[in-house]
Amino acid sequence: MAGEPILEIRDIRKNFGAYQALKGVSLSVQQGEFIALVGPSGCGKTTLLKQIAGFEEPDSGSLSIAGQPMLGVPAAARPTSMVFQKLALFPHMTVADNIGFPLKLRKVDPAIIAKRVEAMIELMQLKREYLTRYPRQLSGGEQQRVALARSMISEPKLLLLDEPLSALDVKLKKVLQAELKRLHRSVGVTFVHVTHDLEEAIMLADRICVMRSGEILQVGGPNDIYYRPADSFVAGFIGDTNLLAVTVKGNAVSAPGLTAADPTVPAQYVAPGLGDGPALLMVRPELITPLESGQVADFTIDVTITEIFCKGGTVQFRSNTEGGAPLIFELPGASKQPADIGDKLRLGFPKRDIYLFRERVAA
Amino acid sequence: MNGEIDRSWRDPELLVKALPSVILQTAFFLAPLLMTVALTFQRTKNFQLTWTWSLDTWTDIFTKPHYWTILGHTLFMAITCVILCLVIAFPVAYALATRLRAFQDHVKVLITFAFLTDATLKTFGWVLFLDKNGAANYLLQQVGFPPATIDILFTDWATMLGMVYNLLSFAIFTIYLSIDAIDRSLILAAYDAGASKFRTFWEVTLPLARPGIWAASVLIFLLAVGVFLEPKVLGGGKSPMSAELIRQTFETRVNWPLGAALTLVLMTVAVFVVLLFNRVYSLKRHMGPV
Repeated sequence: MAGEPILEIRDIRKNFGAYQALKGVSLSVQQGEFIALVGPSGCGKTTLLKQIAGFEEPDSGSLSIAGQPMLGVPAAARPTSMVFQKLALFPHMTVADNIGFPLKLRKVDPAIIAKRVEAMIELMQLKREYLTRYPRQLSGGEQQRVALARSMISEPKLLLLDEPLSALDVKLKKVLQAELKRLHRSVGVTFVHVTHDLEEAIMLADRICVMRSGEILQVGGPNDIYYRPADSFVAGFIGDTNLLAVTVKGNAVSAPGLTAADPTVPAQYVAPGLGDGPALLMVRPELITPLESGQVADFTIDVTITEIFCKGGTVQFRSNTEGGAPLIFELPGASKQPADIGDKLRLGFPKRDIYLFRERVAA
Repeated sequence: MNGEIDRSWRDPELLVKALPSVILQTAFFLAPLLMTVALTFQRTKNFQLTWTWSLDTWTDIFTKPHYWTILGHTLFMAITCVILCLVIAFPVAYALATRLRAFQDHVKVLITFAFLTDATLKTFGWVLFLDKNGAANYLLQQVGFPPATIDILFTDWATMLGMVYNLLSFAIFTIYLSIDAIDRSLILAAYDAGASKFRTFWEVTLPLARPGIWAASVLIFLLAVGVFLEPKVLGGGKSPMSAELIRQTFETRVNWPLGAALTLVLMTVAVFVVLLFNRVYSLKRHMGPV
């Protein structure tokens, strides 16, 4: 993985009038990586993708692909290829013409184009008889594969995916997510995938870049993002989580209702640069267990159950601590239910499952 | 396309549902048309219609080249008008839908005003403008041109100018809508695939605007075949076109059978031209099945 990055972005800024869409973004991506740009709408992820594709030019900063500076190079001349959110298949061309279009523009011999198109059709697991059909005669998932085929036939250095799965139903989405992962493994092209779905990003990507308000908040592997988020925004962006307001002093944490034999937290469970003062203690719901009398845990807390939800595979319990803070925990659905609404319960979680970080003031 | 439609004809429920529409079409379209056809087989005597069946009118039409010269001239003017309208309207519509997005609303309002102003008014306006002593020549003279530089009033040139002017907005709006409906990401996808701006226009924008161009052509052709105001007011009635001939036949000569026959000939030829164009268009089309 080491070596010269395939994509190097340095301090890119982009304003639309007074609105700062990108506030100095830097990112480097290695050859063959699958990186996901994640964030809520308006966070700048699509804007960043457009700068990479060359549809827009940043106001300042630098961008290079495979060592070549790209600013000022038009989209048509960049070694990138985009899969659009709306797919953007040409409705007046057959599937074969759509897929072969990038090669036709490069004046490749028609016989070779036909051969390459067939190879792409095979790679995408599409039926051969689709070649003469028009995009609108295909289902959503098939159109998706055609769009991917068209983007990959010119063998781009970077495949840019602009939320191509967001318009699909859940079942098809899952199928195509698996497909994307398989494709990435088999072709070895670098993927830059934009999505607002952090779960999708965690499933697919080698590295995830979480953005908000035109800035990158955190870049890291799926586990880093999930278990060691940079702040409460990143932590709250995926699924349900517990964020307990605590006070840090020295290495020890304290909070109303929270008891521990040894309240010190090892440095690996503390966000870098967190000093004394108020902080948030994160513990994922599935890592909390109810304690029988006599059982001990690194941290324990007494709660009252307020709601019980069945989530299929798991059962989710919502509860309030004695300090009034909400706390969620989840147990496997098949296990014996430890409590009912209104019951008091002692919960425990080990030190290795917590993470301490500062709260982020909402922008 | 097959199967369902075949069955629907035999479906009594659907026939009942279609009945109101069938009655309306029959009463207001088919019946007058049949009356027109019947009219052509009658005679006139002393400006009076006499109800006697004969083929006189049709013999007259098919033996006198005069009518066919006028019809040929009408078709020539109409097709020229279509071409000129497309050539002028396409760049305007393209600019409106792409480059001038910021103030396209203002431009649209201006075009709409020009469009909504009564055609008679506009046509007479052109007379005042094009007259030997009119506004255009006055202005040209003021900047040093000899008197009466523009001398096209009461010629086919003036007729064509009036026709193009009166019908242009139909073309602009129809083509504008078809270009405006093109998904912006299709253009970006073409750039992304490596196409130049010209290539993108040629491979994506133009083929996708084709239905609009086609609709504008048919619309303008059918309207242009029926103009009588422009040839009369701007052309001075010197080389009348079919619609004016039909009007004269009905009103001045009070020869209803001949007028009806000329109408049918014009209608048939116009429909034939449209079908012919449709055939050529669909042979060369790049669109998939709609």
